[in-house]
Amino acid sequence: MKDTYILAIESSCDETSVSIVKNGRDEIATVVLSQMDTHANFGGVVPEVASRMHIENITMVLEECLNKASITTDEVDAIAVTYGPGLIGSLLIGVQAAKTLAYLYNKPLVPVHHIAGHIYANNLVKPLEFPLIALVVSGGHTDLIYMKEDYSFERIGGTLDDAVGEAYDKVARVVGLNYPGGPLVDKKAHEGKPTYHLPLPLNDDSYDFSFSGIKSAVINLVHNEKQRGNEINVENLCASFQNSVVEILTKKTMRALKEYNVKNLIVAGGVAANKGLREKLTELCASENVNLIVPSMKYCTDNAAMIGAAGYYAYKLGRTANLDLNAKASDSLK
Amino acid sequence: MRKLFIDTASHNRIAAIIDNEQIKSLKIEQNGTDLSIRMLPLIKETIDEASILPNDVDEIYVVNGPGSFTGIRVGVTIAKVYAWTLNKKIIPLNELELMATTKFDGDLIVPYIDARRDYGYTAIYDKSLNIYMEPKHMSRTSLLESLPKDKKIVFVSYDNLDIEYEVIKPEIDIMKILNKHSNDIGLNPHECNPEYLKLTEAEENLKKELNKND
Repeated sequence: MKDTYILAIESSCDETSVSIVKNGRDEIATVVLSQMDTHANFGGVVPEVASRMHIENITMVLEECLNKASITTDEVDAIAVTYGPGLIGSLLIGVQAAKTLAYLYNKPLVPVHHIAGHIYANNLVKPLEFPLIALVVSGGHTDLIYMKEDYSFERIGGTLDDAVGEAYDKVARVVGLNYPGGPLVDKKAHEGKPTYHLPLPLNDDSYDFSFSGIKSAVINLVHNEKQRGNEINVENLCASFQNSVVEILTKKTMRALKEYNVKNLIVAGGVAANKGLREKLTELCASENVNLIVPSMKYCTDNAAMIGAAGYYAYKLGRTANLDLNAKASDSLK
Repeated sequence: MRKLFIDTASHNRIAAIIDNEQIKSLKIEQNGTDLSIRMLPLIKETIDEASILPNDVDEIYVVNGPGSFTGIRVGVTIAKVYAWTLNKKIIPLNELELMATTKFDGDLIVPYIDARRDYGYTAIYDKSLNIYMEPKHMSRTSLLESLPKDKKIVFVSYDNLDIEYEVIKPEIDIMKILNKHSNDIGLNPHECNPEYLKLTEAEENLKKELNKND
């Protein structure tokens, strides 16, 4: 069978990325240009700054990726692009670039949902096995997705307010850690003990999550301790926060696996790099005989290779778009 | 020599094909939130109507600002990807200069794009599009104070300006601005980027913060 090459573009937040992926499984070349150092100056991603950087870099990233892959745009089978969700101004750059290439080379244009990309990042390591449950956790998302086969998504739950990564960054800021603080909170948590009492967030029968409450609890706790002139033990507070968050994420995920009678669990997104979450899931999945798949670090953060992997299956299903494709800041995964 | 003209910076979105110093096809739509949906199809329709193929275009002229940040980015992204991948010459044009191609009765023309809170994007040109004042983001108050008293001045703006000068609506002359820039050497497409004429609010705040600490 003839090989299928996808040129994929991802620009939903603060990474400009282009990748060439073969048959949805082989990453031929990927270039990721991260703006993280710039946004660190502002203590978080500034949307207007992000859009400005995407447009300055898009053609250079495209060129570098095509050179690395030794392929021309004319030789690829389709152009895939993240159309949403994400920062609208950032998404627009990738979408306009993809539309322009699809038009000029008369190639099919394949819109890919960012979360589908995160899930399919795992396909670049090992073919997905179905049915599966995907726990997508990042700075912008917290979703539980059920998949009975390739490219079929049923969102069974998700966050009602803050994404889990967002809560981590906020907590990091309150206890004086630098942006992006998620990984630092994780590190500190491993050096401390959960001595502070924090609520277990939205501990109910649904598959939904809520992290704004625990975030506020941490903010208030720090404030009150300061007022009393007490020193905060950062390690112990990080450990207490992480403990509660990991507890609720794993509890609902394990329940979903049981209720849907699924033996494959995928973890995806930036927070999939969290050591505390990985350790707890590894332990629980081993005892429940669940096949746990966690992507390597480079696939946890935003990259176009995952969009190329997901884009391949969307393309095979004929899920293409016309030149009037638009970017969407929010859209449910279907 | 075939030229593609793209303007997404202002109240209208425009695509045109110019062949042999003549406008072969021209599409103008009122700009709105559907710019990101419509701009590429509009360019395709313009190219189709001229009965040419994308690769038949030799030069791309794109308005790269000032104006709506998102608007500019849609046009410039399409133009720079187009020029980069098909190896075409790319020449950026200024929206204020384009507005200044409007016919007027006077010595100097002041294109003005309202940017809220007394601020606007503005410049001053003479009838041959020579620059009298460089494009900049400035307060209307200081602009009005700095205008020469010995010249007849006409404002050109899509916005309704409540000022003592004559204000006319833009009726742009695409050929005039293209002819003025037909000998420009152009840019490497990687380097063709928007000219916002203004830092982002976050950058301005950071700058203030750094100055305070110095």
